[in-house]
Amino acid sequence: MTRVRELLRHKWILVLLLVVVWIVLATVLKGVHTLELPTAKNTPVTQWLTDFASSIRGNRTESPAFVYFFNPIRATIAAFIEAIRSVISVPGAGNVIPLIGWLGTLSIIGYIVYVTSNLRTSLLSMGLLLACGVLGMWTFTMDTLAMTMGAVFLSLAIGLPLGIWAGLNDKVMKVFRPGLDLAQILPTLVYLAPLALVFLIGIAAATIATLIYSIPICIRITAHAVRSLRAGPVEAAVSMGSTKMQLLRKVQLPMAKQTIILGVNQTTLAALSFVVIAALIGAPGLGKPVVDALVIRNVGDGVVAGLAVVFLAVMLDRATTAAVIKNNTFVRDTGKARTKRRIGLIVGGVLTIVAVVLSRQVLWAAVFPEQLNFGKQIASVADAVATWFTTTFYFFTTTFNEYFTVTFLNPLEGVLANSPWYVTVIMIALLAAIIGGRGVAILSLVLLTIVVLIGLWNDTMISLAQILLATLLTMIIGIVLGVMAGRSERVEKALKPFLDAGQTLPAFVYLVPVLALFGPTRFAAIVCGVFYAAPVVVRMVADGVRGGPPEMVEAATSAGSTPVQVITKVQLPASKKSLLLGANQGLIFVLAVIVIGGFVGAGGLGYLVIVGQSKPELAGKGLAAGLAIVLLGIVLDRITQASARRSGNPGG
Amino acid sequence: MSDETPVSAAADPAAAISVRALWKVFGPSADKVVGTPLADLTRKELLNETGCVAAVRDVSFDVAPGEVFVVMGLSGSGKSTLVRCLTRLIEPTAGSVLVSGEDILKASPSRLRELRRTQFSMVFQHFGLLPHRRVIDNIAYSLEINGVKKEARHARANEVIELVGLHGYGNSYPEQLSGGMQQRVGLARALAVDPKVMFLDEPFSALDPLIRRDMQAEVMRLHRDLGKTMVFITHDLAEAMKVGDRIAIMRDGAVVQMGTPEDLVANPADDYVADFTRDIPKSHVLCLHAIARPLADGEDLDGPELDGGMVIRDATPTILEARRAVKVVQNGQFLGVVTPDDVLRLISGDVDAVTAQEAETGP
Ligand SMILES: Nc1ncnc2c1ncn2[C@@H]1O[C@H](COP(=O)(O)OP(=O)(O)O)[C@@H](O)[C@H]1O
Ligand SMILES: [Mg+2]
Repeated sequence: MTRVRELLRHKWILVLLLVVVWIVLATVLKGVHTLELPTAKNTPVTQWLTDFASSIRGNRTESPAFVYFFNPIRATIAAFIEAIRSVISVPGAGNVIPLIGWLGTLSIIGYIVYVTSNLRTSLLSMGLLLACGVLGMWTFTMDTLAMTMGAVFLSLAIGLPLGIWAGLNDKVMKVFRPGLDLAQILPTLVYLAPLALVFLIGIAAATIATLIYSIPICIRITAHAVRSLRAGPVEAAVSMGSTKMQLLRKVQLPMAKQTIILGVNQTTLAALSFVVIAALIGAPGLGKPVVDALVIRNVGDGVVAGLAVVFLAVMLDRATTAAVIKNNTFVRDTGKARTKRRIGLIVGGVLTIVAVVLSRQVLWAAVFPEQLNFGKQIASVADAVATWFTTTFYFFTTTFNEYFTVTFLNPLEGVLANSPWYVTVIMIALLAAIIGGRGVAILSLVLLTIVVLIGLWNDTMISLAQILLATLLTMIIGIVLGVMAGRSERVEKALKPFLDAGQTLPAFVYLVPVLALFGPTRFAAIVCGVFYAAPVVVRMVADGVRGGPPEMVEAATSAGSTPVQVITKVQLPASKKSLLLGANQGLIFVLAVIVIGGFVGAGGLGYLVIVGQSKPELAGKGLAAGLAIVLLGIVLDRITQASARRSGNPGG
Repeated sequence: MSDETPVSAAADPAAAISVRALWKVFGPSADKVVGTPLADLTRKELLNETGCVAAVRDVSFDVAPGEVFVVMGLSGSGKSTLVRCLTRLIEPTAGSVLVSGEDILKASPSRLRELRRTQFSMVFQHFGLLPHRRVIDNIAYSLEINGVKKEARHARANEVIELVGLHGYGNSYPEQLSGGMQQRVGLARALAVDPKVMFLDEPFSALDPLIRRDMQAEVMRLHRDLGKTMVFITHDLAEAMKVGDRIAIMRDGAVVQMGTPEDLVANPADDYVADFTRDIPKSHVLCLHAIARPLADGEDLDGPELDGGMVIRDATPTILEARRAVKVVQNGQFLGVVTPDDVLRLISGDVDAVTAQEAETGP
């Protein structure tokens, strides 16, 4: 035990030494071999990629791969989504309203939620949808809903069977695992450019990108659901002579249902958040007004559209969570409760049919009434609030912003980006070796060298500086709040709505208020990352602190430790592994948002991705930036994972 | 003497279950152990040398039709593995298992399923009920997968529900029942197909002591009424003695002794078995013939006469009432006498006295 501790101290001293050497080197060699490159300039690799992209664009109508494979897929998926849109959001040819007007859609959704969960959630869902209408976002909301529902349907159709298969069969799981792991660390932004290239900007590319993002989540949770079934009932069913099929249909699936519905919830939220961001490659819906507002920095409009996204997310989350809770017990209603429910179902059904018919006949029920549209007013209020806030809290929004940038961000960027690339690469590899071992060090060395060869080294380091600082802030906040929540139920209760919201809302909507407060700066991107990543870290730290053996805390307290001593000497060390895993998750979440921060003036790789999207002559640079993001993500993930793994068994 | 029921080398086709040289080795090179010098290593040595666990090692026994055969041993001694090997829920590494003369290890998958559906049934320590099904559908499950129509299988399920005292609970869900009631469902489910052999793996270990006693009585009653062959696993010797016709005691995967409850108490094969039997009240297990002794000087032979096969506890009231030597007779043969003092000496734990006499008289 003492030897292990000695070794650990040893390790931290090494890290410290390394950092000092690094800073000295970076200061001495400042500005040498930084590989800085103006945005508008291509490197040989990005030039080649740009040419490749334009050749693909030219080939779309000729190459057999497109004619017989990609184009048919594109057409089928586009037709599928358009069909859903024509029901609830887009008027058919020669018509002014879609197949069903707003009142009909509202009732149908309310009824579906009532059937799958309960009346309260149904009313809440309808209220939230109405609120989207009041914001003046009805049609955008319906577009997003149509896209999300279509994507969720396809995700489940593909993900559930594959998930079940992977749950039942270890070999299949082994094949899937690397893909699933990679999918967990890929930020949403990197999916966009390659898919838009193959499937053209538009609905099909957006949907397919969404599927690629959400299917792994569905597979992962479904496989877990099947895998973690209690062994007893399954063994009993085998002992009675069930065939494999009977076992699956009559035992495994019914028992896994609860967890699988949880998977539906996660799949839905993932799909929604992706559909919003997919506005960048032409997805219709709420993402569009958000992007527009971000581009021209119109706070009011951004807030209105962002709020609609929030409402829709909360609605989809509540509706699917209520279904999970309803399925929490296998016990079914009997007698009175069942009769009551039947009456409810019939009444609701009749009301829904009436509403649908009305919405096809009467104008006020067909088109969301202008009198109920308060979008403009809400936008101007939001503008006013933002102005008031930025002027009143000038210290926080501007002074602090500048202080932070000058004191922390610039020096860090100096060390990472503004020193010779080989110094940084070697130092990161050495750090990886100390923290994660030789394998991780070699991997880091190789992947970072690839980044250098691609020619995006400098931008990658600019992103990395922001990522590291945002992660540091996230960890500080996460540990403080997490320890508090882990130690006190009251704090945990108070935090819960924020944590829930943090896990529900698409990353994109954080940009709007942050941009309003801090302007288009790197600091804004960092704040965004912290907001997005902190909830998950708080949760993991709180779970870790709570999960420690209570006897240990009791023993320490009875030995006369102060609360601070209990926290620092018992609870935090005991939850070290969950802290490190929290850091890993925090990093991944921060990475996802920092690259989106390219939008709010953060520069770095995210900016290149977005520029590549709009300028064909830089398309290759955008693709390369996406690749660099992936490589950076893998390096960061591997290093933190390895350190968490190592802390798991101090003996080895 | 300790080997009351010697096991012949060849399997016995007349037995309900006949197990010969059964092995189960878990681990990376499991099939390279049996039949090699490795098989002679102890469990620990084997684990250190090869990383394999010999969960069941060279076990042989026969179970007669209608018998309750108990396998007992400490946790980790291989009981669960053994019982699962008998129905191939776990695939044995070597050996043979005959059920009513049929070699189970050679059965095809479909034949095995058929056997499981019609001949075997199993009761589990943690019940293993299907949480999403009502009691009645849990009980009817094996009939359902066998293609029995709903009406017929519910009728049968209701019969068994009555049989195990679950009247009125057919529409409940398992999570609504107490542990004892859940295990009644487990029993009912096992009985529903009218199996030839029942396997019970520590069926009552998860229950409170009072409920456990009820359930033991219930199983004994069912056995009396239905006469099923049972293989009953337990780690509790008192339970084993109560329900078992014969008991096999396992240690580290091997059977160390096999015999009737009385054999085990009177003649533990080694310290391991003796450790188990120490706390068993001898008067509850031993029969009169075990303490009958020759008439001493000054004693008369005018007391009442009792059968030598009577359990001492049951004979005690008569002996106390007689206040003098009681004659012990078995199969028309006079075995000796027993006085109240002899009984008291036995109950107070004067073991040597008993074994000394046992050695003199013999059964
Ligand atoms: N699937 C398995 N893989 C490896 N070892 C096992 C497995 N199942 C049981 N064992 C080992 O076999 C031994 C016997 O286990 P078990 O039959 O469950 O004992 P019991 O039921 O008597 O408590 C134990 O040492 C256990 O660790
Ligand atoms: Mg067991």
